[in-house]
Amino acid sequence: MKRDHQEISGSGSKPAESSSIKGKLWEEDPDAGGMDDELLAVLGYKVRSSDMADVAQKLEMLEKVMGTAQEDGISQLGDTVHFNPSDLSGWVQNLLIEFNGPTTTPDPNFNDDSEYDLRAIPGVAAYPPVKSDPGLENTRKRAKTESSSSSSSTTTRPVVLIDSQEAGVRLVHTLMACAEAVQQDNLKLADALVKHIGLLASSQTGAMRKVATYFAEALARRIYRIFPPDSLDPSYNDKLQIPFYETCPYLKFAHFTANQAILEAFSMASRVHVIDFGLKQGMQWPALMQALALRPGGPPEFRLTGIGPPQPDNTDALQQVGWKLAQLAERIGIEFEFRGFVANSLADLEPEMLDIRPPEIEVVAVNAVFELHPLLARPGGIEKVVSSIKAMKPKIVTVVEQEANHNGPVFLDRFTEALHYYSTLFDSLEGSGVAPASQDLAMSELYLGRQICNVVACEGMDRVERHEPLTQWRTRMETAGFSTVHLGSNAYKQASMLLALFASGDGYRVEENNGCLMLGWHTRPLIATSAWRLAGTESGSELTQELS
Amino acid sequence: MAGSNEVNLNECKMVVPLNTWVLISSFKLAYNLLRRPDGTFNRHLAEFLDRKVPANLNPVDGVFSFDVLIDRATGLLCRIYRPATAEEPEPNIVELEKPVVGDVVPVIIFFHGGSFAHSSANSAIYDTLCRRLVGICKAVVVSVNYRRAPENRYPCAYDDGWTAFKWVNSRSWLQSRKDSKVHIYLAGDSSGGNIAHHVAARAVESGIDVLGNILLNPMFGGQERTESEKRLDGKYFVTLRDRDWYWRAFLPEGENRDHPACNPFGPNGRSLEGIKFPKSLVVVAGLDLIQDWQLAYVEGLRKAGKEVKLLYMEQATIGFYLLPNNNHFHTVMDEISEFVSSDC
Repeated sequence: MKRDHQEISGSGSKPAESSSIKGKLWEEDPDAGGMDDELLAVLGYKVRSSDMADVAQKLEMLEKVMGTAQEDGISQLGDTVHFNPSDLSGWVQNLLIEFNGPTTTPDPNFNDDSEYDLRAIPGVAAYPPVKSDPGLENTRKRAKTESSSSSSSTTTRPVVLIDSQEAGVRLVHTLMACAEAVQQDNLKLADALVKHIGLLASSQTGAMRKVATYFAEALARRIYRIFPPDSLDPSYNDKLQIPFYETCPYLKFAHFTANQAILEAFSMASRVHVIDFGLKQGMQWPALMQALALRPGGPPEFRLTGIGPPQPDNTDALQQVGWKLAQLAERIGIEFEFRGFVANSLADLEPEMLDIRPPEIEVVAVNAVFELHPLLARPGGIEKVVSSIKAMKPKIVTVVEQEANHNGPVFLDRFTEALHYYSTLFDSLEGSGVAPASQDLAMSELYLGRQICNVVACEGMDRVERHEPLTQWRTRMETAGFSTVHLGSNAYKQASMLLALFASGDGYRVEENNGCLMLGWHTRPLIATSAWRLAGTESGSELTQELS
Repeated sequence: MAGSNEVNLNECKMVVPLNTWVLISSFKLAYNLLRRPDGTFNRHLAEFLDRKVPANLNPVDGVFSFDVLIDRATGLLCRIYRPATAEEPEPNIVELEKPVVGDVVPVIIFFHGGSFAHSSANSAIYDTLCRRLVGICKAVVVSVNYRRAPENRYPCAYDDGWTAFKWVNSRSWLQSRKDSKVHIYLAGDSSGGNIAHHVAARAVESGIDVLGNILLNPMFGGQERTESEKRLDGKYFVTLRDRDWYWRAFLPEGENRDHPACNPFGPNGRSLEGIKFPKSLVVVAGLDLIQDWQLAYVEGLRKAGKEVKLLYMEQATIGFYLLPNNNHFHTVMDEISEFVSSDC
């Protein structure tokens, strides 16, 4: 084969020059030691410049060890659990350990969760009216499909355009113009535009129409100051969550990923206590209880404290849920204790009320699924709650929040963010294969519509849907003295498989982001699960002891 | 064997900066974990490990991006990169498809690499590369998130490329003022380069102009074992064994590497004579074991009378264009810029 070198225009081919480049590059700035390599950071890898040679050495060692092991690749190492791929040094180190040391000493951190029975996740409304088996025998086939995941997020504005059709664009344009008019207090213009939106929306179909309608209504409420009458009844919201749970995988994902983290934290404990900041219908717990029942070595004693808002008709909703869970516990053979706490706000809670037992006796998990952001509506709210959490000395804190920036100071920015976010959410409902006219779908949309209304029409203490992105929650938790418990590749894989099982829409994506997992629609992350421990403690089994 | 392994590693480290070596070695390691001997692929782990970045309407270094779902049926998504303008430093949702401004605005349709199996349009390495291309070429870049092997074999990637091509070509907001046409370039690295070739062929056959092809270390092959494959096997991050695995994963079952997808100018290939194939810029890394196939591709274009410029980067390995820390990188970026701007 002839090599035609006449067109070389690169100067990198001259040996003398390349060695001088090499010399310059490898004699890195000695002051840069403690800093991350900038070029790799852009590509998503955090490696300190001073660690680079060490990481290289480890890679070489791995190469040598792998090279002599076998010819056909080392894909069985793919079955080990991987954590935090951005930390290249740690990742390589763990692989070295996996490869060198045979698995004689099972690391409690690397808990294999293959016992987690996906069928235990309620696939229909968790508690049918008659006291009967809550769908444990739901035998949905486990389809083996591959799914891919999508973007991570920092402080960015990710957008996925679904329909870039002419009419849709005009509708969005008008919505934005109306919001801008509201921002500028030009209520006359806003009023005219809101009416126009109604017209435009009626010529649309599908998700865009629904979203536009909800946003238009919210804008109208803001303009005319007619605030939603039932915004003060959180128990109604709780009930709307059931159809939302059924029609799309967001809540299932939230429960599932949180449960994974809790399971791992509970791994050797003989007594465990889950404090659920928003019990609602208790849909998260059957699956956890099932997994605990199947634990090798037997289940722990399981205590659940459920917190919820007061009911308008004064019924004890919490006790009802607790009772149903108790029945389940009896059926599957777990010792179960339940306590319900009614509170208007989590900030009203005092840890002493909750009968926390010492960590040597009982391992505590605090669970907050979409429960923290409302606290941002009152000054001091979140700080009080975070410090309460600390006082509960939890081994693990699981937090699930909307991955969105709906709490900025400027109305127009909030509006725009919310428009993107809910457009994507509604589109996913549309695409998920639920029958278009189903009651559940309508209720799910109403559930989301109420959120939209709150973000757009309300202010002050009434505006409780104060969603903030993961980066902000991270900062908050870290400042308060928590550190991340990494959700690993096993949780990722099972979450992906869960999506294949429950979500017939193909666009759902799970993504790993610095140890947290996010669920999104195509490339737009929509909710994020993170797990936390008190900094300076281990999340392995060291804090718990088997008690006879 | 251990001895020659050591020589390989040391040689390899001589020719790239340390952080590049670490980056590409860790890809190599990860990829080894993902390919199974039976031809299946650990997709969950692949997606878990891949570092991705979101689109961002907030301009970074003068470039903003957004994703568009262009085909619901296949879930085909593209990421669009546009230069932020002085008038609209912070684009909002209605500005996304605002008409491009200029007599001549190049639109580069980019196909990411990954040997048909790895990576995505939102992989950090490719998001970074596409952003650079916007600045260098003063272009709009459309990065195609094509379906990957082994789950989706030939011709899925090409079909997705073609779908994206038609979509781009039909966007009025991408038209250059001069002739109210979209000025399209096709670009890609590794498997993306291969896709660019095949999409270009389909485009010109359909009577749509492509102004140029930019192929970075394009992935081609054939049944024969070439001299460069034997000489460089395992020496610079890549082995013949892994190349074979990817072709088996992409090509239809039962086909060999002389399939025209893999070997466009091979025994089953087709001459491009008489077809209005665009001019090509082909970058070949001198330490890439498949260079003989890439050079054969260049030769094939020449024989068919097509304009082609070869950039042979003697001391370059695969992936040199991922980090701006070497001369090959800068040379190639300059050449790409010139290649695109020479369109008048």
